[in-house]
Amino acid sequence: MIEHPPETESLSVPSAGVETRLVSLHAHAALGTLLVSLLFGVLAAMELAVPGSGGSAPFMSWGKLRYDHTQGIMLGWLGNAFFAFLYHAVPLLTGRTVTSARLGQWIFGLWNFVIVLPGWVLVLAGFSQPLEWAEFPLVIDVFVVLALLLAAVQFLAPFFRSALEDLYVSSWYIIGGLVFTLFAYPMGNIVPELLPGARGAAFSGLWIHDAVGLFVTPLCLAIVYYVIPAATGRPIYSHFLSMLGFWLLFFLYPLNGTHHYVFSVIPMSAQIGAIAASTLLGVDVVIVVANLLLSVRGTNWFRRDMGLRFVTTATLFYLIVSIQGSLQAQMSINQSVHFTDWVVGHSHLAMLGFASFAAVGGIIHAWQRLPGKRCNTMLLGWAYWLLVSGLLIMVLDLTIAGLAEAAAWSSGAPWLDSVRAARPYWIIRVFTFIPLAAGFILLLAGLSSGERTGAKNEGEAA
Amino acid sequence: MTYLVAAVGGLGFFALSMLLLGVWPGEALEEQIHQTSPAHPLPLSASEQRGRAIYAREGCAYCHTQQIRYLARDVSRFGKATLAWETIFDYPHLWGTRRIGPDLSREAGVRSPDWQYSHLFAPQTLVRDSVMPAYPWLFHGAPDQPAQDARDVLAYLETLGRDRYLAGPEGEAAAKKACNCSEDERKFAFGPGPLNASPAIPLRKGKFPLLPVSNDEARGRQLYSRNCAGCHGAEGAGDGAGAAGLHPKPANFTEQEYAQERLSQALWNGVAGTAMPGWRDIPPADLAAMARTVRNFHQNGPEPALPEGVLELGAKVYAAHCAQCHGEKGAGDGSAADQFPVPPTNFQTQRPSLAASLRAVKNGIEGTPMAPWSGRLSEAEVYAAAYFVRGFYKGGIRKGDGQ
Ligand code: HEC
Ligand code: HEC
Ligand code: HEC
Repeated sequence: MIEHPPETESLSVPSAGVETRLVSLHAHAALGTLLVSLLFGVLAAMELAVPGSGGSAPFMSWGKLRYDHTQGIMLGWLGNAFFAFLYHAVPLLTGRTVTSARLGQWIFGLWNFVIVLPGWVLVLAGFSQPLEWAEFPLVIDVFVVLALLLAAVQFLAPFFRSALEDLYVSSWYIIGGLVFTLFAYPMGNIVPELLPGARGAAFSGLWIHDAVGLFVTPLCLAIVYYVIPAATGRPIYSHFLSMLGFWLLFFLYPLNGTHHYVFSVIPMSAQIGAIAASTLLGVDVVIVVANLLLSVRGTNWFRRDMGLRFVTTATLFYLIVSIQGSLQAQMSINQSVHFTDWVVGHSHLAMLGFASFAAVGGIIHAWQRLPGKRCNTMLLGWAYWLLVSGLLIMVLDLTIAGLAEAAAWSSGAPWLDSVRAARPYWIIRVFTFIPLAAGFILLLAGLSSGERTGAKNEGEAA
Repeated sequence: MTYLVAAVGGLGFFALSMLLLGVWPGEALEEQIHQTSPAHPLPLSASEQRGRAIYAREGCAYCHTQQIRYLARDVSRFGKATLAWETIFDYPHLWGTRRIGPDLSREAGVRSPDWQYSHLFAPQTLVRDSVMPAYPWLFHGAPDQPAQDARDVLAYLETLGRDRYLAGPEGEAAAKKACNCSEDERKFAFGPGPLNASPAIPLRKGKFPLLPVSNDEARGRQLYSRNCAGCHGAEGAGDGAGAAGLHPKPANFTEQEYAQERLSQALWNGVAGTAMPGWRDIPPADLAAMARTVRNFHQNGPEPALPEGVLELGAKVYAAHCAQCHGEKGAGDGSAADQFPVPPTNFQTQRPSLAASLRAVKNGIEGTPMAPWSGRLSEAEVYAAAYFVRGFYKGGIRKGDGQ
């Protein structure tokens, strides 16, 4: 295993073989779809705070907004952000270009104009699947699988072609994540259409976890593992721990799925297995995170570099959200907080805290290494604080809401008591849109103003 | 190395998880379905399927689960835990992972059709603090003008829990015996509790606690405006925003006198065959406070002078035309009473004003078996009967009692 990604610390070196245009295209698409997804989210949140606030148009109904929110975040925002990062990192990791720039344009077009945009529109028009992380209709899924295949050709071929004896840990996560998702995506989207009820739900449980754990997490960790040494110029603390973390994670994550259906009719042994895997996963994440944090120790990570600041913060969120995940899989906690807003808080901590911070860090890192782009560190600093505060308020708010709902339910009080108890928290949640949207808009502003990149040195940024 | 990571990390662990948490539990579920399913569970009709598609499309499953977990807290609130076979027609499943609204696995028979339509059309008119979205586009502009879409959704809602209900006690016993399941599963799926534990199902003959006489006016008012005003109107005149689509209309409390027994019964059990739900999840002290509020809406109108011979004529008409439903002594227990979905009024525990009584006898009550009599009886007979029924009232506490 090699020590660190073969990228020099200097920002001035234009990275050989990087398809800069595709990095830029995907980064723009990522931030654009992010803002749209955020809008879907806040509209859905407003419906809960003030029912009917979104008007009574059929295509604006709560469920449809909810579907488009999460699909937009996963495919539009994170998908594009991952592609942007991969176009930057894969050539540097393999020493080879990606398969073809032409293919890249196809993937870009397919992903945004055949999958995300039509997916959104179809959902609003009433064509969808009632399956979590799989709400786009099956027609769209065909193209997602096609795009994932093409992405494998685009990004994995360089790894196979170069036949490297040793791979840097980011490469492992990229290869593992892309291959796994290629299989898991069709499973999660198609199997529940073919197997009814409880039997289909068993597979849905797997996919709910695979989407986050084997698509989003590996690619985010690939970013984190990549950006930390690239930005600090120091290798990862322990390569043994990196390796251990990787194998445990890929072994354990897929076995977590059934923890979404604890106390259901799915056989208890599968539930217990999944709960055990969830517990061990928490241990594994502690290993991964300890390794990462030890790697940034003493590097002045907070001030040194914006990309580094975001990915390190992502790592901290990753630790918190994973420990929370292990805890809430335990039966004693699960029976109370399952079905409540606690879980909604948890998924925001995962997707907005861990994943989005890693993606933002990856985008900033790649962006600063594109020739002739702008970067305004002050605005990015503001964006950082707005996003951190918006996120923390929201997660705290939803966690308390979840506890209030759980208390109302277990007291046997009328159902509406739980709705009334949650209402103030739902109202607060709407307001977290302000710091979050402002944060992301400042991020966009920070990447389109300020000094031109490619002239600056790392030392000065510190 | 690349090959190893791709093959083991990407493909191998995926296959392992499929096997351990997908395929193998699937086989155990298949076995349980085989053991516990009734021989011929009723599949969904075309209309029910369309309703299901709308339910899926609108994301109802993201606020409502359809799985009662193997936990006391779920079973006591919703009913017996969901068995695997109950979802065998669900392509794809609608289990859900979030409960903003209640679980709907056993929604069949909980609410009357007019309640369901009005609720889909504009939930907050019936349930003030609900956050359920309105679905007016399933209607032709009014809650009692459902389009095919709304009919389909209702048809689908009426399938939720239907098969388990149809399996009956024999089916339950057979399933319990055949099921190769753990003690816990047995306890929660086949325990002694009701199949459907909803506190709102109207019970026609259910036992009910006689509510104490409350003097908590403020509490009564607060709870009334939260729970009842949407239908019965802010001042009890039966003219709440939700009343528009209901048949029969919510009772107008300003023109009714109620014995405490009647209020206790209506609040605890609801009124079968109408949109009036039961409120068994509200503590009796709170129900008593609302009963007080209801009673206090009554307005004493001037009682007209009694014309000669009315009572005799009334008794005659009543015995001939009304007693088979309302009962010889006006207790709502006539020989035909049980044949009708809405129980006939028990005049011993409830006294309409003369105007209300006349209106009911003349025009009937829409949405109930109480038919109009104006064509069939003479003006005098109608009047006499409407007057006569008011004499059965045994009263009880009056407005102002308990103060
Ligand atoms: C935003 C969340 C939300 C969505 C989406 C939603 N509901 Fe509800 N639903 C609720 C809440 C909250 C309640 C409880 C309050 C009430 O009765 O309105 C409820 C209650 C109900 C009830 C009454 C259950 C009972 O017997 O007490 C039914 C039936 C129902 N919903 C059906 C639907 C259907 C059908 C859809 C989709 C077309 C839907 N809901 C979508 C939140 C939601
Ligand atoms: C969904 C609308 C709705 C709600 C909410 C509702 N009711 Fe009713 N209520 C009705 C309807 C409809 C009837 C039946 C009228 C009939 O039988 O003609 C009724 C009947 C009654 C009756 C029996 C009256 C009679 O004349 O037979 C009482 C008492 C009553 N409601 C009290 C309440 C109270 C107290 C609440 C609040 C806890 C309440 N209702 C909430 C619709 C509603
Ligand atoms: C087919 C059975 C049936 C017959 C026959 C019948 N009723 Fe009724 N009646 C009902 C039912 C059921 C209701 C209750 C409807 C409701 O809950 O709103 C009712 C309600 C009433 C009411 C309204 C009570 C109130 O509190 O507002 C009056 C008055 C009444 N009936 C009088 C009569 C008279 C007088 C006759 C004979 C001329 C008669 N009914 C015959 C079934 C019947």
